[in-house]
Amino acid sequence: MDRRTFLKSATGAGLVAASGGLAMPALAQGATKTLRFVPQANLANFDPIWGTQYVVRNAALLVWDTLYGVNSKFEPKRQMVETEEVSADGLTWTFKLRSGLKFHDGAPVTSKDVVASLVRWSARDPMGLMIRAIQVELTPVDDLTWKWVLKAPFPKMIFALAKNNAPCTFIMPERIAKTDPFQQITEYVGSGPFKFARAEWVPGAKAVFEKFADYKPRDEPADWMAGGKKVMVDRLEWVIMPDPATAAAALQSGEVDWWETPLADLVPVLKGNKDINVDIGDPLGNIGAFRMNHMHPPFNNVKVRQAVATALNQEDYMRAIVGDDDKLWKALPGFFTPGTPLYTEEGGDMFKKKSVADAKKLLAEAGYKGEPVTCVVAQDMAATKSMGDVTAELLKSIGMNVDFVATDWGTVGSRRAQKTPPGQGGWSMFHTWHAGADCVNPASYTAIRANGEKAWFGWPDVPGVEEQVTAWFNAKDTAAEKEAMGKLNKAAVENVVYVPTGFYLGYQAWRKSVSGVTSGPFPVLWGVSKA
Amino acid sequence: MFAFVVRRIITTIPVMAFVALFVFSLLYIAPGDPAAIIAGDQASPADVERIRASLGLDRPYLVRFAEWSFRVLQGDLGTSIFTSLPVTQLIAQRIEPTVSLMILTLIFAVVVAVPMGVIAAWKAGSWIDKGAMAFAVLGFSVPVFVVGYLLAYLFALKLDWLPVQGYTPIAQGFWPWLKNLILPAITLGLVYIALIARITRATMLEVLQQDYVRTAQAKGVSQKDVLFLHSLKNAAVPIVTIVGIGIALLIGGAVVTESVFAIPGLGRLTVDAILRRDYPVIQGVVLMFSLVYVLVNLLIDLTYTLVDPRIRY
Repeated sequence: MDRRTFLKSATGAGLVAASGGLAMPALAQGATKTLRFVPQANLANFDPIWGTQYVVRNAALLVWDTLYGVNSKFEPKRQMVETEEVSADGLTWTFKLRSGLKFHDGAPVTSKDVVASLVRWSARDPMGLMIRAIQVELTPVDDLTWKWVLKAPFPKMIFALAKNNAPCTFIMPERIAKTDPFQQITEYVGSGPFKFARAEWVPGAKAVFEKFADYKPRDEPADWMAGGKKVMVDRLEWVIMPDPATAAAALQSGEVDWWETPLADLVPVLKGNKDINVDIGDPLGNIGAFRMNHMHPPFNNVKVRQAVATALNQEDYMRAIVGDDDKLWKALPGFFTPGTPLYTEEGGDMFKKKSVADAKKLLAEAGYKGEPVTCVVAQDMAATKSMGDVTAELLKSIGMNVDFVATDWGTVGSRRAQKTPPGQGGWSMFHTWHAGADCVNPASYTAIRANGEKAWFGWPDVPGVEEQVTAWFNAKDTAAEKEAMGKLNKAAVENVVYVPTGFYLGYQAWRKSVSGVTSGPFPVLWGVSKA
Repeated sequence: MFAFVVRRIITTIPVMAFVALFVFSLLYIAPGDPAAIIAGDQASPADVERIRASLGLDRPYLVRFAEWSFRVLQGDLGTSIFTSLPVTQLIAQRIEPTVSLMILTLIFAVVVAVPMGVIAAWKAGSWIDKGAMAFAVLGFSVPVFVVGYLLAYLFALKLDWLPVQGYTPIAQGFWPWLKNLILPAITLGLVYIALIARITRATMLEVLQQDYVRTAQAKGVSQKDVLFLHSLKNAAVPIVTIVGIGIALLIGGAVVTESVFAIPGLGRLTVDAILRRDYPVIQGVVLMFSLVYVLVNLLIDLTYTLVDPRIRY
């Protein structure tokens, strides 16, 4: 074959290929009702015990049912459980499953599955670990009944089993639940209202869930994790969109039906579209935060920490995150989620001062001599970047020497675990945020803990805080819980366990062809229908 | 020629070995911890450590590199830390959209850029030339994502002619496939057009000064034939070279274009893996891109023999 023949034949082959493609028929569109949802992040893995990211928890709530579920009043309600009994001494809990529950592979849900799931959950969950520490035995009694025997009473047992914080008590078949909790499961079989279509899963692009026809919803109306989870669509597609502008355009053009977390800057455009509804997504919102390293100078000195907290103006942070929409934020003179039953502002005056002069005075009293503050800021997260910029200016305004380290979230994740001094690979402060759902009480609020080296990054060591955490866990009624929370807030503020930069909310947006959308600490995808 | 191809393929081996060593070492010293990301914020340091150990990330550099290299030699790129899926499967899931986008972009760019460069050279100094070169400068200067957003706004949102985002496999029909790729290919193609058009113009200007061109014109050969048969053929080698070199540009541009148009391709796979520190995926994808680039260069070298019969290996 010579050069000319080759070129001719190559061109011909291209045309043939193209015409062959043209001849291919498009797939017929069935009558399947599909809801297309853009989640907050990529579903990169799907083991809600192994990985505790919120997007995994949100997807897991579709596939795996829970024993109890918390409702919008923060009350734990029975979900898979039919009845429970606790002995008079509070040491023996006996639970019974609802009958007729099935896994997606058709097998019945039994107490053996529940026990194996609880064993795996309790190895990873902070409250589970507390129960495990006082556990005598956790055993099946019969096919539907199991008992949990403890050495000491645990008044928050039902709350632990109902909470919506990751990891939840997702019930898996025994063979799957026996997987080491530090290894990822490879089979995604649950008994929840949706089945996971594993063959269609393209991590980073798409996850598909199909209605589980044999799901047995409760009779009560759905309310967050509680009540009857009735599925109104045949198929739910999670479409992963890393670019917010693309997601906004796709929602406007009708290529997707519901966007979980629209960017604040794009909300006015969506609000102006007659086919789109916009409303608050998660009413529990988020608490912006920066954490200081209590182990090393300058923040090992409580007066330096107080100086920063005294100068801080939360409005600066909140405007940097959510812009000018005043409905989306509020100042937070404390550490707990506003609007929740145990919310308290006790002892929170320091966060209201906004006084640079007082801050400078405190710094002088602390003997601050210009030690560098290594401020590690993730630039790839809009919230941390915004907060980091505000903090850098704040620190400079009170005369602190800022070493601003701009990096990405992955690096912050590893660097914040370093306990070495800031000049040797460690850090002085980093920015983050906490889901409001985690901050309604101390149960899953890792960031409020102040038990030294065992505490969250920054390692605050404040016995007064820990005493009140224990008091809350032991509280027998709401009044006692409220008292413990008030004292806890006060102690945490005085010692500046960390600095809250304010409370902020986010919107969700959906097309008007979709009905049944509600607000919640996770996207409530049951009870939602599409015209 | 056969000996040349074999020799070039053999030289690929040390190149790939160096790329493998470089990428592995770079990731080893780069900050970030996938175990911390997996464990989430509620996890204790002990939990993170256990996950790190279960992933084998606590083992020495040499042990990990030796194991990985051994597997790669057997064609196993490892398993994603996050999804627990084989890297080869993840690449297979994503390769079609990226290859489709690159081929379409290549076709679009060459079809537009080469005539543009030829005409600009022919009409050098005229408003056509200035206009073409201004377009080329614009193509270079305007970021890919800006072009993407503008096209999506106009053709998808306002005119409703094309979809905003997504990808339809070619197995589901040619038009659905093409429909999803038109805007991304134009977006990605603009930079490429700018590059090819400028090189074509510069090379053609040189060729058009040659004696044989003048002779052809004196013989009364039509202007079209002078430009496209006599001149373009002789200018083809630099143009083919730049088309090949531009593949690297396409790979880089695909990362942004795939994000803007939510195309589930290799570019997004790479970015996601880097942000999460999914080492096996990063290593696998970079290795694959390197191999593609080396092979494209080989193909370019072979193409020279097709466009210029004087070149022989």
